[in-house]
Amino acid sequence: MTVVDSPPPPRLPVRDRATAHQRVGGGVSPMLTRLAEERATGVLDREHGTLHLAEGRVVHAESPLAPGLAELLTAHGTLAAEAWLEAEDSADEGRLLRYGITPGALELAQVGALHDAAYFALAPSSTPGRFRYGSAHWLASVHPVPVAVLEREMLRRRALLRRIWPDPATDRAPLIRADPVAAPTVPTRQAAVLEQVDGVRRAVDIARELGRPAFHTLVHLRRLASAGLVAPQPPPAPDAPPDDAAADPYVALLKRVRDALEAL
Amino acid sequence: MANTETTLKECLASIEGATGAALVDYTSGMALGTLGGSKTFDLNVAAAGNTDVVRAKMRTMEHLGLKGGIEDILITLTDQYHLIRLITGRGGNGLFLYLVLDSKRANLAMARHQLKKIEEELEV
Repeated sequence: MTVVDSPPPPRLPVRDRATAHQRVGGGVSPMLTRLAEERATGVLDREHGTLHLAEGRVVHAESPLAPGLAELLTAHGTLAAEAWLEAEDSADEGRLLRYGITPGALELAQVGALHDAAYFALAPSSTPGRFRYGSAHWLASVHPVPVAVLEREMLRRRALLRRIWPDPATDRAPLIRADPVAAPTVPTRQAAVLEQVDGVRRAVDIARELGRPAFHTLVHLRRLASAGLVAPQPPPAPDAPPDDAAADPYVALLKRVRDALEAL
Repeated sequence: MANTETTLKECLASIEGATGAALVDYTSGMALGTLGGSKTFDLNVAAAGNTDVVRAKMRTMEHLGLKGGIEDILITLTDQYHLIRLITGRGGNGLFLYLVLDSKRANLAMARHQLKKIEEELEV
């Protein structure tokens, strides 16, 4: 009898959860952590947004993927657009207050807008960030946020979205309405978002339209996606075979479950 | 007129038995400000968790077709009261005030009344 020694089968690749956790624990942006330690003042440009620092704390943030403080303040009539432009031109926080906005309302709007833009600015990026030392932003005294607090909140926000619906496809793509057979009732605030879905608008466009923070819109859209009411616009696929299965609601549901499991 | 910090200070100073207070945005689950709490009671965690309480109640009310809004929600523990008071601001963001009370020292009716007054003074 001959015994054939076959080599042991190759080990299957396993996702290493222990090191993945360490990576997350290492901070959202090592550069930002370093700038906080040296109490830097200036502007950090990243791929999806900009953070303004004063003495190592984040005092303002902007991102093309989130409505700015001006849009949030003027969208609901809290402040006239001209009043904002005047205050911004003169870089004078006091002017905003003289135009009837209360310090409490300004602070809340700034906290909201800062965290909203920072969520996108601190998203994983493919290009390195760049820091320019300089003077503090004109709204630096409204509500400075320590870097560690901001990073903790960003990680909490990422986890919140993952918990609602793990597929991030609705965050950036143009959106279409999907009409499931038994559509669940939609809460008022989500219904306002759903109404804006027209096959062209992305999450950020909907946020601008409604004058709401972009992250809040992502939350609503993920809930709508998990209810099967919203889907990302599929890229145009020429010569695709006719897909009869898509018409069957059960097949469509199974596909969504499969997509969600794959995204886990 | 009041900002976040003074509002939370007023909650702890003027409401008998109050041990912690937070102002919370219920869509993102972020605490915009916290005061009080302790090492064993993290108000940021409580803030995020209680957004689910508010959301569940709102959904139930919509399913039932109830038109009224929620004024406050009371949760009674063996030794604490947790009081959630909803705020509707012009900014279009749903916020709530979250108050933790020591049930041995607190006067619940008085606390609800005072929290309502503080909420009215908070301009958002």
